[in-house]
Amino acid sequence: MNKLHFKVGLFTAASLLLAGAFVVYLLHARGFFEKTYHLQLAAASADGVAPGVPIVFSGIEIGRVTTLGLNDSGGIVIRTEFLERNAKWLKETSTFTLDKPLVGGAKIRVDSPDLNAPALPDNSTMLLLTSDISKEIPALVERVKAILANVEYLTRKDGEINATLANFKTLSGRMTGEHGMLEGILGSPEKARAVTDSLDKTRALMARLDSLAAKSDQWLFAKEGVAEQTRESLVQMRQMLSDAQASLKKADTLMANAVEISADVKEGTQDLAALRTEIDDAVRKANALVNEINKKWPFARDPEVKLP
Amino acid sequence: MNFLAASIESLGAKVVGWFTVGYGMFAFLVQATLLLLERATWNRATFDVVIKQVYFTAVQILHVFLGYVLVISWLIITIILSTARDFGLTEFASEMTIRVLVLELLPFLTALFIALRSGSAINTEVALMQVNSELDALAHCKVPPMQFEFLPRLIGGVISSVTLAGLAGLLALLLGYLAIYGTTAAGFEPYTQTIAKIFDFRIVAGLVIKCALFGLAVTLIPVTAGLETPKKLFMVPVSVLRGMMRVFFAIVAIEVVSLALKYI
Repeated sequence: MNKLHFKVGLFTAASLLLAGAFVVYLLHARGFFEKTYHLQLAAASADGVAPGVPIVFSGIEIGRVTTLGLNDSGGIVIRTEFLERNAKWLKETSTFTLDKPLVGGAKIRVDSPDLNAPALPDNSTMLLLTSDISKEIPALVERVKAILANVEYLTRKDGEINATLANFKTLSGRMTGEHGMLEGILGSPEKARAVTDSLDKTRALMARLDSLAAKSDQWLFAKEGVAEQTRESLVQMRQMLSDAQASLKKADTLMANAVEISADVKEGTQDLAALRTEIDDAVRKANALVNEINKKWPFARDPEVKLP
Repeated sequence: MNFLAASIESLGAKVVGWFTVGYGMFAFLVQATLLLLERATWNRATFDVVIKQVYFTAVQILHVFLGYVLVISWLIITIILSTARDFGLTEFASEMTIRVLVLELLPFLTALFIALRSGSAINTEVALMQVNSELDALAHCKVPPMQFEFLPRLIGGVISSVTLAGLAGLLALLLGYLAIYGTTAAGFEPYTQTIAKIFDFRIVAGLVIKCALFGLAVTLIPVTAGLETPKKLFMVPVSVLRGMMRVFFAIVAIEVVSLALKYI
């Protein structure tokens, strides 16, 4: 056996085998053994779409655009091609979006929210949506420009923010002074001192009020205090009132008698004089009572009791 | 005035020299092709020489070559992957790897490898044969050097170049898969998708033609350079030097033209 020939033969056979396997693999990868599946996409504009643009599902390429054309009514028809094994991801509920990222080429994104939905039949036509970031950029730039202009206006020299910051600086400077925040709020140490002085005075006043209250308390409620005296006076008053009531009742009966008696004037003159004395007495008692009450109780000063 | 005339003359001489060399190569190639088409060429003796050539050019160096391909592919794949990750372009990494390695770098390196090892040897051998008048002696003995010396070298060069580049490419594809997806089968579908996207018919045919042209360049140019050698022994190194320079320029030119055709 020729060793050289054997080696060359082995090398050639192995190479041919590998080459053949690779060719078969490549044919499989390119879908030579499979049916191709076609889909038409209707779009408003073919901008950015060209033959070869990939169709991706979940980031993995499953097909590509083969041709572009116009239909009879002037609409764009994009013809795409899928291998049969990839066509299973296309459902009737799938959406097709043209993505034009800032970096990288355009691609058509397939979203199939419901994988249990019925499969899309071959040669069907779907709508192609467009999400073009580059078209939104000018609007975005305009808005950013406006915002930047505002920021520039706010931060300009002698602007409000600078003034506010300057004010804030003086404020915080004052706050670090002897009187702290009070000085910061009121503006100068003198005013702050006035406030602290007033506070001191208020504190003294409060102390005095406190002692005054204690004294009043004693004066009112201690033994022999005003409150006890008042209670006693009320007892006396009730007694005097009942006296007056009794006198008035007597006067009442006497007046009734007087009406009866008035017929006999002669007879009644002596009785009348006695009655007069009794009424006078009662009125005097009542006046005395009122005076007594006035003395004890500072009510309205109307000492007279009016007789009917 | 004299100086100008002298420069123009030297330029003309150079151009004429290039044309002579180019024509010599072309004529040789045509002669070889015509011989290839002749039935009489395909006898057992020629075939044996072809097998010998394939053995010396490809099989003998296979393990060294594959080890070298392994190292360089692994390095370049790792560099491409980490760079792609840094720039957030991971989705393009596998495609980039395949394009750079399998389509461009490995065929080029294979051609250089064969040129440095076999091309220089062929050039020296042919130059020595020419200097020692062995070729005339062979022709005299009815052993035409074209059929038994040169044509088998050309065929062996083309076969070796295509096979070695193909093996290197397959190894690089395998390494690329391992580097990107590891030892799981999970990445098979997307990797297949990428391969399917890159290797359309035009690209595969272009790759094979490019490798064949590389193989032809690294054998044809040394042979013609050797045949040009004047019959003086000290001219042999000069002949090898010239031949190797031409081989280098030819390889670069083929690569540039193939790139231009592919991407422009």
